[in-house]
Amino acid sequence: MITGCGVVSPLGIGVPAFWDGLVAGRTAVGPIVRFDTADLDPRHAAEVADFPTADPDRAGAFLLRAATEACTEAGLDVATLDPDRVGAVIGTTLGGMQIFERWLAGGDVATTEAERIPYHAPAVRLARALGCRGPVATPQLACASSTHAIALAADWVRRGRADVVLAGGTDLLCRFVVAGFNCLRATAETARPFDVRRRGLVLGEGAAVVVVESMDAAARRGADVVARVLGVGGAGDAVHMTAPDREGGGAARAIAAALGDAGIRAGEVDFVSAHGTGTPYNDAMEAAALGRLFEPQAVPVNSIKGAIGHTLGAAGAFEAVMCTRVLATGTVPPTAGLEELDPACAGLDVVHGAARSEDVAVVLTTSSGFAGTNAAVVFGRA
Amino acid sequence: MTDGVALTGAAWTHAADDAALAPLAEPLRTRALRAERVTRLVLVAGSRALELAGLAVDAGPPRVDVGVVLGTMLGCFLTNAAYAERLAEAGPPGASPRLFAATVSNAAAGELAIACRLGGPTATLSAGRASGLVALGHAVDLVRDGRATTIVAGGADATGEAATRWTRDAALGLAPGDAAALAVLEPLAVARARGAAILGTLLGWGAAFEPRAGASGGDAALDAALRDAGLRRADVARIVGATTAEGRPDPLAACGPLALVATLAETPPGTAIAVVATCPTGHAAAVVARAGDVA
Repeated sequence: MITGCGVVSPLGIGVPAFWDGLVAGRTAVGPIVRFDTADLDPRHAAEVADFPTADPDRAGAFLLRAATEACTEAGLDVATLDPDRVGAVIGTTLGGMQIFERWLAGGDVATTEAERIPYHAPAVRLARALGCRGPVATPQLACASSTHAIALAADWVRRGRADVVLAGGTDLLCRFVVAGFNCLRATAETARPFDVRRRGLVLGEGAAVVVVESMDAAARRGADVVARVLGVGGAGDAVHMTAPDREGGGAARAIAAALGDAGIRAGEVDFVSAHGTGTPYNDAMEAAALGRLFEPQAVPVNSIKGAIGHTLGAAGAFEAVMCTRVLATGTVPPTAGLEELDPACAGLDVVHGAARSEDVAVVLTTSSGFAGTNAAVVFGRA
Repeated sequence: MTDGVALTGAAWTHAADDAALAPLAEPLRTRALRAERVTRLVLVAGSRALELAGLAVDAGPPRVDVGVVLGTMLGCFLTNAAYAERLAEAGPPGASPRLFAATVSNAAAGELAIACRLGGPTATLSAGRASGLVALGHAVDLVRDGRATTIVAGGADATGEAATRWTRDAALGLAPGDAAALAVLEPLAVARARGAAILGTLLGWGAAFEPRAGASGGDAALDAALRDAGLRRADVARIVGATTAEGRPDPLAACGPLALVATLAETPPGTAIAVVATCPTGHAAAVVARAGDVA
């Protein structure tokens, strides 16, 4: 069960601001203002604004804020629970990179800051803040990290390894990552998922967290259920380190595994939250995978990366939060940035232009990443 | 408790230099030579574990029922440092696409998947020194749930100046070493049916976290693993802590898998053992296993 959600997003702090921005089709993409970009090209991204913090661990600060909102929505006071039964699974691709950049340059970094450099640091920081004594881990699946985080949390709850697991992801914008994607020539100034004019991804930042809880634990607390996790799946491409399998083999296997785990057929899925990065290869790969799985009928699909950018290790968790709201409201946010659907993706019913009302009971979210990793989760209405 | 999961091949290495890669067959050797340090270690140990299990393949379509789960504490830390140093020195023109592509900690698992045609579930997990046992545990769950027929799983970490300096600056009291230890896991019935040599049977696993500095979640992890295995402490002949002697390089994520494989090798068949790994980060994990082919 999902009993609560929280986000720190480029569209605003908190789920209402995030959701309202998505439904309105707004984009938070613009010139980067938080650090010097004079020598970067492109220099656009979706930054989190209005988040005043002197915390050098920006990703960790995002995470704590998102987790607090998720716990509040879940009505969850972790201090009242058995700490042995509370866990955390937080994906990231950058973690304490902002501190790392300063540390590597020989800057003055305190021991407590140095502790927050590695990728496991955000999960550790959250677990310490909550007093977790259950399982804690950091999935490292590049841009599929937080989708896998939710899948792993659901696995742990199903297997009785924990009653409550906070799952999600956090990442931040910094020179390290912007220069990196630029040097791969994978970036653009505008994200246009599935558009015929798409040229590349636009980076974003933020954190998204969901509370994954067993049915019994939620019932004991009298918690409202936001959505159900019906199935999870993952698969590797085993093709290339940075480019996706052109045929979408790994993505299709991950989706099929999630559907199989949920015990449902593709035809029962009412909406798909695509990875939809806006790179030529990713979107074509997804069109191939989804086209094969959902043929002959097209299922409504969207991508939120035109709105909040590609938030990397947090992307899947943001999309999961969006999915819970789609299930609750029947409203599918449009794909910001998409104006003219690529004929190569014509088999997809990509929602764009304006939000659409649908009868949605089952949704699928899918993520893919470097090193040929793919993860998928199926959610059901509460 | 649940179905036992057979361990049918295991390999480890502490060497990542070019000489250590020389025995590898092509195209694996070429792939390893151009890889970063932790990936080299994983390619050597992972490919050897598959070979020992009789499951080595280096060509053809991805094997959709064979996956990889790797645990790593530092992951691509050294690569991050190398990439960031060049970026700092030369600005964006100095940013290396090759290095940046390897600044994800799942690069090692991805390289192994490509080299050994692993198209099933793939994951890389970080949980401090407990990473390797958490990876083995996740692999056990994947096999139990029927999501894969075979998983190559274990832990790996690599050392270098940046890694050593970071563990010192973070006051972790660890001296990272080069190490990878990976094992092949599959359903007991499948392993028996194909006549594989069974080194041990994994019966259960558990993980825990200790939020207080200076305390350990090892006991909680062990209790969770025993519950998962349906055993009591009295049922286990040996409980082995995956510790490292002071002054010795610490294999970090590989410490648990190394201790597990070594303990199984010296334990009479049918005897249950447990291995526990803890970390100053607060992470802890444990695995309960029985030596030999006795579920």
